[in-house]
Amino acid sequence: MPGLTSDSGETSLVPFSAELPVVYPLHQGLKPPIARLSISWSRGNSLRVSGFRSESGDDEVGGKVVEVKLGSGDGEIDDAQWRRIAYGSVSPFALLQSRRNGMLAMSKMSAIFSPYEAEWSDYIMEYSRDIGFLLGGHKSSMSSGIEDPKTVLKKVEEPTCLKAAWELIEIFYADKKSQTWTPEQFVDWLADYDSLLSGTQPTVHSKLVNFQRELVSLQAIEDDVKYWEAISSALAVGWLDVAVKMLRLHGSYQLNQLGNREVENGLVEAVAVLISKMPRMRHELSAGKLGECYETKPEFIKAWEKWRGQITKLDCSGFWVQCYHHQTREGLKNFLQIMLGNANTLSSATCHWIELHVSHLLYIRPFTMGLESMYSLAQKCMQFKPMSFPHKLMALLLGILGENTEVVLAECSRSFGPWMVAHAVELLASGSTQAEILLHEERHNLGGITMEELLRLVYAQVLSSHALTWQIAPIYLTSCTKQGMALLEILLYKQPVQHNQILLKSIEICRLYELHKVSSKMMKIAGVHHWKHGKKGSGVFWLQQAQDEIRLNRIAQQLFDFVGKSISDESFKQWEGLIELLGSDSRTAGGLEFLHKYRDFKRSLQQVNDGIATHSAQKAAESLILLMKNPSTPQLFWLPLLYDSLKLLNWQDRPLLNVSQTNLLLNKLQELSIMARLRPDFTEAELPSQALSSVRKSLSEGSLLKKFLLFGIGRGMRSVLDVTGSKKLCPYSAFVALVIAVVLL
Amino acid sequence: MESNGTPPQPLHVHTLPQPNYVDFVRWIPPLSPFHRFIATAAFDSDSTTSTVQIHALTQTQSNNPPNLTVQSSIPTPSRITSLKLSTTLHNKPLIAASTLTGSLHFLITDPVHGRVESELSLPEGGLHVGSISCIDVVESGSEAVTVGEDGRVNLVSIGSGGNERLSYRRVFDGNGLVGYTAAKWASPTEFATGGLGFGLQWWDLRKPGGPASQFKGNWARGTTSGIVHSIDIHPSRKHTCVAGGSSGTVFAWDLRWQQQPIILSGVAIGEVPANSPCESEVWEVQYDNYMHSMNIGNISSSRVLPVMICSEDGILAVVQQGEEPIELLAEPCAINSFDIDRQNPSDVICSLEWESIAILSRA
Repeated sequence: MPGLTSDSGETSLVPFSAELPVVYPLHQGLKPPIARLSISWSRGNSLRVSGFRSESGDDEVGGKVVEVKLGSGDGEIDDAQWRRIAYGSVSPFALLQSRRNGMLAMSKMSAIFSPYEAEWSDYIMEYSRDIGFLLGGHKSSMSSGIEDPKTVLKKVEEPTCLKAAWELIEIFYADKKSQTWTPEQFVDWLADYDSLLSGTQPTVHSKLVNFQRELVSLQAIEDDVKYWEAISSALAVGWLDVAVKMLRLHGSYQLNQLGNREVENGLVEAVAVLISKMPRMRHELSAGKLGECYETKPEFIKAWEKWRGQITKLDCSGFWVQCYHHQTREGLKNFLQIMLGNANTLSSATCHWIELHVSHLLYIRPFTMGLESMYSLAQKCMQFKPMSFPHKLMALLLGILGENTEVVLAECSRSFGPWMVAHAVELLASGSTQAEILLHEERHNLGGITMEELLRLVYAQVLSSHALTWQIAPIYLTSCTKQGMALLEILLYKQPVQHNQILLKSIEICRLYELHKVSSKMMKIAGVHHWKHGKKGSGVFWLQQAQDEIRLNRIAQQLFDFVGKSISDESFKQWEGLIELLGSDSRTAGGLEFLHKYRDFKRSLQQVNDGIATHSAQKAAESLILLMKNPSTPQLFWLPLLYDSLKLLNWQDRPLLNVSQTNLLLNKLQELSIMARLRPDFTEAELPSQALSSVRKSLSEGSLLKKFLLFGIGRGMRSVLDVTGSKKLCPYSAFVALVIAVVLL
Repeated sequence: MESNGTPPQPLHVHTLPQPNYVDFVRWIPPLSPFHRFIATAAFDSDSTTSTVQIHALTQTQSNNPPNLTVQSSIPTPSRITSLKLSTTLHNKPLIAASTLTGSLHFLITDPVHGRVESELSLPEGGLHVGSISCIDVVESGSEAVTVGEDGRVNLVSIGSGGNERLSYRRVFDGNGLVGYTAAKWASPTEFATGGLGFGLQWWDLRKPGGPASQFKGNWARGTTSGIVHSIDIHPSRKHTCVAGGSSGTVFAWDLRWQQQPIILSGVAIGEVPANSPCESEVWEVQYDNYMHSMNIGNISSSRVLPVMICSEDGILAVVQQGEEPIELLAEPCAINSFDIDRQNPSDVICSLEWESIAILSRA
């Protein structure tokens, strides 16, 4: 393990906790002794554990296979939710890639990239927003009409760390337009996600939640020290609306008390107004949030000075002596100190270093710009409030502020997994030159690919390992220029071919990425699979689709065996469909073209058998000759064909074959005889043993004389015989036929 | 797709993410407009279990997204390959499902609560060798036809009343020489099947022994051929089968014009209109009664009625003979199945590859 070797936490950038391994007992339900245990990866996050019993075992032999599903991550987001994120991020990612390619093409033409930079950052921002939306936790703009005055914190959908991390990266890398307001965005970010940090440490959020619980039972809340603490904390981290709302719960607002607590109430209201008028250097505030926005620095400074002037004025006001409620006076004065940026007050009002950081940004250094100064501020805050339990978001934030891309990548990967890194690199690369170089440099130690490509490949692997997400892996693989296509081919070959639907989905991917070779190979595999499993029609179909003549010819041989066995005349209907599928085009039918003609032959033969019709007998004879002439007719079939045609050869009315046709058949017969001699096993088991001889006899009786005459008497006779050939020649010489038969054998 | 026509009416689309893969969706014939149920064939990849689920569809306001709540969930031994709906003699919805391992399941449901009242099933092994590609239940819900790639065509009788049991007989056994991938009843005695090479067969139970009529699949020669995935037959025009299959192909076969297909869409065929809404597998076709009722006056009896299709490349569209197709949805992922509500044909439901269901309402 690489992490375990880095012994000290100080030298390693990303601390790797060398925790002790956890032991989980696994019940396999197999009686000992187990002779062999095999562990292998199954699909996805599953381990396949196979146990085998020793063969000497008395009662049960064999073994058991157990699949162990390994849990993933922290459980914040379940598998189904992860898949939903994976599905949803496909479109934004693909859109961004196509825009990048488009812009690269443009910049190649004009040789400058810079004019498009602004446009590109818009695209990146759009991408980031789309992905962010996907991660859920949308701040609902709809408020539920009547608000409970005692509800300090609005109930929102539970945010996720993933979303918080994404937004953090967006703020610091992608959002170029709001760079001047980065501190304010950071304030908003904390407001949204402070609750996430409550798990490991106390936070302002948890403080407020706890106080809210007690609120209902409190009578005079201004007497409670927790009330003042809660407000000061909310104020310190800039949750002005919460602070003002809580302030207005002050007892002096109650009508029956207004009379004798007039000054006190005036002071409370004055502070509340000052809080709500706080100048903010930002573009706008979302609904319900307080403060006054200033977009430019000069305007803001002016307002800031004025506001602080008002605070100081109130601080020195003479009304304080007339405020007899001790807690109110102290509490309000404390608020003024917060607003005036008293570092000690801020420190005591906040719980952890990020909150302190935010409070400094708000009240002490509102002009903080750039990561460098934010980073030094963060380090200062961490001295005041050290991290006892470093939260993953804090680690990520430190990486970002420290401008250390490697740390950011490592933290993203460690805490949020491959999806996060693969998608966040787009933001990182566009947000910092250092990151861009790091990600886009081709690395020798990675086999010549870039870090970006590596991260995408890793994510694509994760997608590929799941039956429901493998189809989106190609989008990521094709964005990897060096290794993507090769891995895509491997992925496609791994898909099961036995089910048409999955096969067709794979073929569709091949079509989209023009992987015709791959799709034809897959069809071949499918064809052979179906063929082997007895689905001959499907097998032939897929091999035809793949235009695989070699295999079609080979399976033709097997098919002929099958045909020879099964074609009784009644069962021919079964063949009709396959023959229809084959069509008559020899290019797609391959050697199976034969079947088509065989069907025609069988059909006319059947008609002959049904009744005596010379016309159909003639037709059958023609089909027979066609079949015998055709080179695709397998040798295997010659004898059965001839045997089937005995009736035709012995046709009583008139001979159905002329001289050359007879010659053809005889030649075939001779070839068969040679074959039979060379290979004694080459006989048709299904045919009666005397098949060869009876065919030979028929042919000889019918027309062997012709052959004899042709070759024996001379060429001059041929023309005469051709004329007379169609007429009946008496089988007058069995003797001559016998001679020929001997010659042939 | 910019040349495609736009829907004539505003279209409300709601996509509802599901916790599992949805192979098929069907409307369950409702008892009243207040009880709307849908049946889905769900596949949970984590536990590798398949179920037939019945969801109640509720929508508080017309603009609010509708809600689906699972009413019942019945496991099947393997992944569902076909899901069809019909009604029994007693007017109860009948869900029929076939599976990859070859078992068959019929669920008679309660139309008020969406619960399963009784289940009838045939185990794997008997009906087909391997998987059942398609099942279709006759209108009356008393018989079903099953087809498979093993080339078998089976007729399953569903007993009713007190005699609720299943029996079957083989209509044809192709011994694997042919494979069938789609089936659809035309009348109580006739049905059509589709298979490899864009072939269609017409069967008449009164003429046993084989298909009564065959439509040669090799009309698409010269280019690649394909598989028929779905067939539909309009009850008022039984002589015309419409079929959808590979390469965006949608064609109609008029029994009166035996060997000449009417091509509605497709890229595989040389000189067809270029207005194919999709280029990939057409997974399902259904006559669109909504479009039909809108311009009923314009459609002569010789023309093919409008057909809705869904495809692997994420298109849900209505194709019409000689007209531009109307694209209803263009999703980034495949649309695996859809169903038009028979009682309320403006509503369409479809299942998307990315574990979600989309509900569309036209108008």
